[in-house]
Amino acid sequence: MTNSKNTILSLRNVKKHFPIKEGVFQNVVGQVHAVDGVSFDIGAGETVGLVGESGCGKTTIGRCVSGLEPLTDGDIFFDLTPEKLVALEDFEKHQSEIKNKHLIDEIQSTSNISKIEGDDFYNYRRNCQMVFQDSFSSLSPRQLVSDIVSRPLKIHKVCADNELIPRTIELLEQVGLGKQHLYRFPHQFSGGQRQRISIARALALDPKLIVLDEPTSALDVSVQAQILNLLHDLQKQRGLSYLFITHNLSVIRHMADKIVVMYLGKVVEAGNTEDIFSNPQHPYTKALLAASPDLSEDVVSDMAALDGPIPDPARPPQGCSFRTRCPVSRTECGWEVDDIIRRLEHHETLIDSIKSVEQPDAFNAKFTFETSLSATELKDAIGTNDIPKQMRKAIKKIEVDGNDVNISFEPVQTVPLVQTDNGSLSRCVLVNK
Amino acid sequence: MSPDNLDIQNSLDKDLIASVTDLKVYFESKQGMVHSVDGVSFDIVDGEMMGLVGETGCGKSVTARTFMQLVQSPPGVLAGGNIKFRSKNSKSGSQVIDLLDLSENQIRELRGERIAMIFQDPGKALNPGLTIRTQIAEVFQEHRENDVLEKAGLKNKLTGVTEYFVKKYIKQEAGFLVTTLLKIPPLSTYKKKIDNGINRLVAEALEETQIPNPTKVMERFPHELSGGMKQRVMIAQAIACNPDLLIADEPTTALDVTVQARVLDLIKELQKRHKTSVLYISHDLSLVRRICDRIAVMYAGQIVETGDAETIFNQPKHPYTQGLINALPSMSHERGKLEAIEGIVPELIEPEPGCRFVSRCKRRKANCKKIDPKLQPISEVDKSHKVACLLYES
Repeated sequence: MTNSKNTILSLRNVKKHFPIKEGVFQNVVGQVHAVDGVSFDIGAGETVGLVGESGCGKTTIGRCVSGLEPLTDGDIFFDLTPEKLVALEDFEKHQSEIKNKHLIDEIQSTSNISKIEGDDFYNYRRNCQMVFQDSFSSLSPRQLVSDIVSRPLKIHKVCADNELIPRTIELLEQVGLGKQHLYRFPHQFSGGQRQRISIARALALDPKLIVLDEPTSALDVSVQAQILNLLHDLQKQRGLSYLFITHNLSVIRHMADKIVVMYLGKVVEAGNTEDIFSNPQHPYTKALLAASPDLSEDVVSDMAALDGPIPDPARPPQGCSFRTRCPVSRTECGWEVDDIIRRLEHHETLIDSIKSVEQPDAFNAKFTFETSLSATELKDAIGTNDIPKQMRKAIKKIEVDGNDVNISFEPVQTVPLVQTDNGSLSRCVLVNK
Repeated sequence: MSPDNLDIQNSLDKDLIASVTDLKVYFESKQGMVHSVDGVSFDIVDGEMMGLVGETGCGKSVTARTFMQLVQSPPGVLAGGNIKFRSKNSKSGSQVIDLLDLSENQIRELRGERIAMIFQDPGKALNPGLTIRTQIAEVFQEHRENDVLEKAGLKNKLTGVTEYFVKKYIKQEAGFLVTTLLKIPPLSTYKKKIDNGINRLVAEALEETQIPNPTKVMERFPHELSGGMKQRVMIAQAIACNPDLLIADEPTTALDVTVQARVLDLIKELQKRHKTSVLYISHDLSLVRRICDRIAVMYAGQIVETGDAETIFNQPKHPYTQGLINALPSMSHERGKLEAIEGIVPELIEPEPGCRFVSRCKRRKANCKKIDPKLQPISEVDKSHKVACLLYES
């Protein structure tokens, strides 16, 4: 894939883990895998939509991209020329034989946002701005609109003091506000107007990329339409790139060129907007499409509403993370002991009589019960229809030994993102075949 | 007042469960009276799902809260109108009452029993300091004394002082003396039985909303549950007494789309099973279309259009409804060409006569600023589709 346009942003296997702290000494007892290996590119003048449920890590990615959170692992590259992108992809494929080492070094020192320092980082901050969801809390209630919008100009010293106000007025006019709004406080504006002020602030430094974190979800439909039109006009005028984070599928369909669907910190499907909407490959995408009311008229999907628990992001599953809620799950989806424990919560008496669970890895476990009766009861419970059929099939061995039950599953590898027929990427065992 | 007069006042069409006529709710403010709800009239047919749609601040929530007299006064002022409600299966049989005439005690008897409400944010509507059990049990203790006694196996078995004590305990009105006495046998055994009975009722209510493992969930506090689960608890609480009218005030706004779909299915299913009438309030037109039979569209404190869900969606007549539907991003719109409704919602402080939508309307005429449009049927044929717009007044 070669084109003449620059790639504004390239995420390479980005990971962000948050430590779970416990006790008086705040010992780290685990890691929440908020973002777990996400890669995608944003081209110049392109809008990439990031969709997913709450808690899937989409906002964390937005914060990582804008430099508000340091990365745990992976790289984010900013503004790569096509040659640099090719070199980088080459380098990732054949790590051992580095052809053009100086180019890679140059990329790492000038474009990798977690490694650049000083003026380069300053420059990055100028070029990547953010618009937040809640315009009540992202605009300081004590500052006048003129202070809010001109602050980036002052900090980055882009214009002389006497030009500040004319420049601010110009910015306000671009977002549909005017001179008369200059000396007002944020609380004097309606939600839509406040979001316009946020956008004016983001535009102040003439950035290349704007991260839009749910910019319209707090707004009414009629105002949302105004803001979406404004964002589109600005993009056309200035050649901006957008990273558009939202949970609203009809908005994303309207705005985005490419879509990245996330689930539990991972990308489950990525591709061109129309491909994804007309021919979704991953069951999660299908379910999402079926569940959004305003799309139901023109999206054909036979998915029922989703049921089942979302796995704990602190212990992300080895196989497919969506299998617990997936209506078309398979034996090879990577069922593991945690699934049994999650199902056990429906059986009160059983879960109460568990003494201990020994779990050497995700696929093997030894449950110890207080009585041998409960042990056989567990085996029976697994045999019933409470447990999904595919999960039962995936059990390699189940033995009752006195008060103990040994269970082992067929181990599986992580499901990779693969290219599907329509050109989009999907992470599902069904697509693998 | 003659008996004849009284009869007219309390009459309600047979197929209606509630009827709102010319409701006016104002709020006092420093700048003047805010006309939040200004002459709203609509009917709710028995057993139907009625959708009330509108943007932020159009008065839809205030309308709903007036049903249960939940609008705080002051600053709220009830400036006129009435809400007639047919209370079925109540102790005194089926009767029509005016909800706004009732005293505090009378409305308390209705709340949760005949009219129940699901609030928008389950995180705020549930008490964070009480377990789920306590919060749902309250409904039964307040309204279903006999059911509790029956579940406890104590119906018609108690007499005299014992009965008085136990009933006091159920109603949560037990003072220090009764509480102490209930700790000593034989009264303590009754207390235990009552507690078990209540537990069973609560578990059944939770089970109805498809909450897995109700007896475990019962003992939890709201913060231990996910958003979808909390909303289910709210629904369980609302339908516990099998009310005649359920008011759902944006019950899924705080939820994810996938969870929202589940909760909507649940409400729809329960509505069908119990034949409850539902007043569903939402800002999301497409969502309301999916589940409601009829829709009323509100703008700036007034109803501008009402009719069947499909009619409203396919043949909207009022310019505001048309604007709302066109503003939804869809396939037919080129990017950047969404038909936004320009301008902002007018101030509702002492509004001037004339159509409220006039400043944003694309099809306004000279008369629109002078004459108040009335909500009236659009044609002789279809009486149910009503519009308040001068364009359609002959």
